[in-house]
Amino acid sequence: MFDFPFKSIEEALYMNGHGIYVWSVVLVVTFCLIYAFAYYKIKLKKFKKKFNEPN
Amino acid sequence: MYKYIFYFSLFIYIFSLVWGVLFTQEDFVQGNSFRIIYLHVPASFLSQSIYAAMAISSVIYLIWRVKLSAYLILAMAPIGALVTFLALFSGSVWGIPTWGTWWQWDARITSTLILFIMYLGLISLHNSFSNHEKADKLLSWLVIVGFVNIPIIKKSVDWWSTLHQSASITLTDKPTIDPSMLYPLIGSIIGFFGIVICLIIISSKVQIFKREKTKSWIKDYV
Amino acid sequence: MNPTRKKRIYSILFVFLFSVSGISLILYSLNSNLDFFFTPTELKNNNIPPEKRIKIGGMVLEGSVERNGSEISFVITDYENSIKVIFDGIVPDLFQEGSGVVALGFLNNKIFYAKEVLAKHDENYMPPNIDIKNDS
Repeated sequence: MFDFPFKSIEEALYMNGHGIYVWSVVLVVTFCLIYAFAYYKIKLKKFKKKFNEPN
Repeated sequence: MYKYIFYFSLFIYIFSLVWGVLFTQEDFVQGNSFRIIYLHVPASFLSQSIYAAMAISSVIYLIWRVKLSAYLILAMAPIGALVTFLALFSGSVWGIPTWGTWWQWDARITSTLILFIMYLGLISLHNSFSNHEKADKLLSWLVIVGFVNIPIIKKSVDWWSTLHQSASITLTDKPTIDPSMLYPLIGSIIGFFGIVICLIIISSKVQIFKREKTKSWIKDYV
Repeated sequence: MNPTRKKRIYSILFVFLFSVSGISLILYSLNSNLDFFFTPTELKNNNIPPEKRIKIGGMVLEGSVERNGSEISFVITDYENSIKVIFDGIVPDLFQEGSGVVALGFLNNKIFYAKEVLAKHDENYMPPNIDIKNDS
C-alpha cells in the first residue's frame, strides 16, 4: 500500500506535467494555514500584553 | 488539551498528505492530478461543516442568549471563508488538467461561491455595526436563513446535471474510490478537521478578549 | 421550558421554514435552467433555436471519434439518443471514447458545432493496474 510510484525525486516533482497543479495547491494550502495561525497567535499575544501592562 | 489536539491532528494531516500525494498509485483516468483530492475534499467538507456549526451556535444564541455562542459565530466566519476559498482554489486548479477549464457556472461551483460570499458578507455586516448585541442577533438570524444553502451544495450534483462529479464517499453506498486511495483521504479529512478546530479555538479566544476587555475577570483569564 | 424561549424556538422554526420554502420555490421555478448541460434526449424534446448557445453533455460514443487535421468530430450519446459534434481545437487530456464530455456551442441541422469541449470525469478513483495493488 505504501509504494512510491515515481522513479526519482524529479519525477515526483514533475508528475507527468501535473506536478505544477498538485504542488501549487499544496503550497497555497500550507501558506494559508500557517498565515491563519500566525495571524491569530500574534493578535492573542498583543491582547495578553495589553492586559499585563500596569494601568 | 489544545496542544494535544493540535499536534495530533497536524501529524495525521501531514502523514496523510505525504501518503496520498507521494505514496499512492496514480488514478487510471486522471493520472497524477487526482492527488489534489487530498487537499480539496477536506477543505470542501469543512467549508460546509463550519457553516453548520455556525448555524447551531446561532440557534443556541437566539434561544438561550449564551454570549459565548455569539462569539463563536464571529470566530468561525473568517475561518469558514478561508477554508471555502481553499476549496474553490484547489477545485479550480484541479479543473485545469481534468475538465479543461478552471471555472464554469455549474450548480456545485456556483453554490460554493455563494457560500464564500455569505461568509464574507456576515463578517463585513458585523463590522459595520457599532452596537455589538444588535449585530449578534441579526447575524444569527442571517446564518439560520443562509443555512438553506448547505443542503443545496450537498445535493447539487444529484439534483441537476453538473460538470462536477457526484460524491465518491456517501453514508449509504460503498465508496467508489479504491481503498488504497481512500485511507489517506480519510486521514487528511480527520487531520484537517482537527487543525481547523484548533484555529477556531484561538480565534474564539481573540473574540473573547475583544468583546470582554472591559470586564474585571479578564485579567485572571490572561 | 420557559415561555419566552419556547416562543423563540417557534420563531426560529418559522423563519427557517419560510426561507426553505422560498428558496425551494425559486429553485423549482428555475429547475432545468440550473442544469449545466442538456442531454441529447432533452435536446430532442426541447425546441432550441439554431443560433442559441447551449451546452450538451453525455458520453463520447465508442468508435465515433474522427480526426481531420485540427478538426475533430464525435458523437455524444446518453444511450437513448445521440448527436454528432464537430469541434475545431484542442480537446482536454481526459477526452476519450466512452468517457464523459460537455460541449459548448450551437445546434444547426442536427449537427452540434462546438466552440469549447470540456471533459467530465466520474466519481470512480482507481489505480491503473489492479494487479499491482494485489501483489503488495
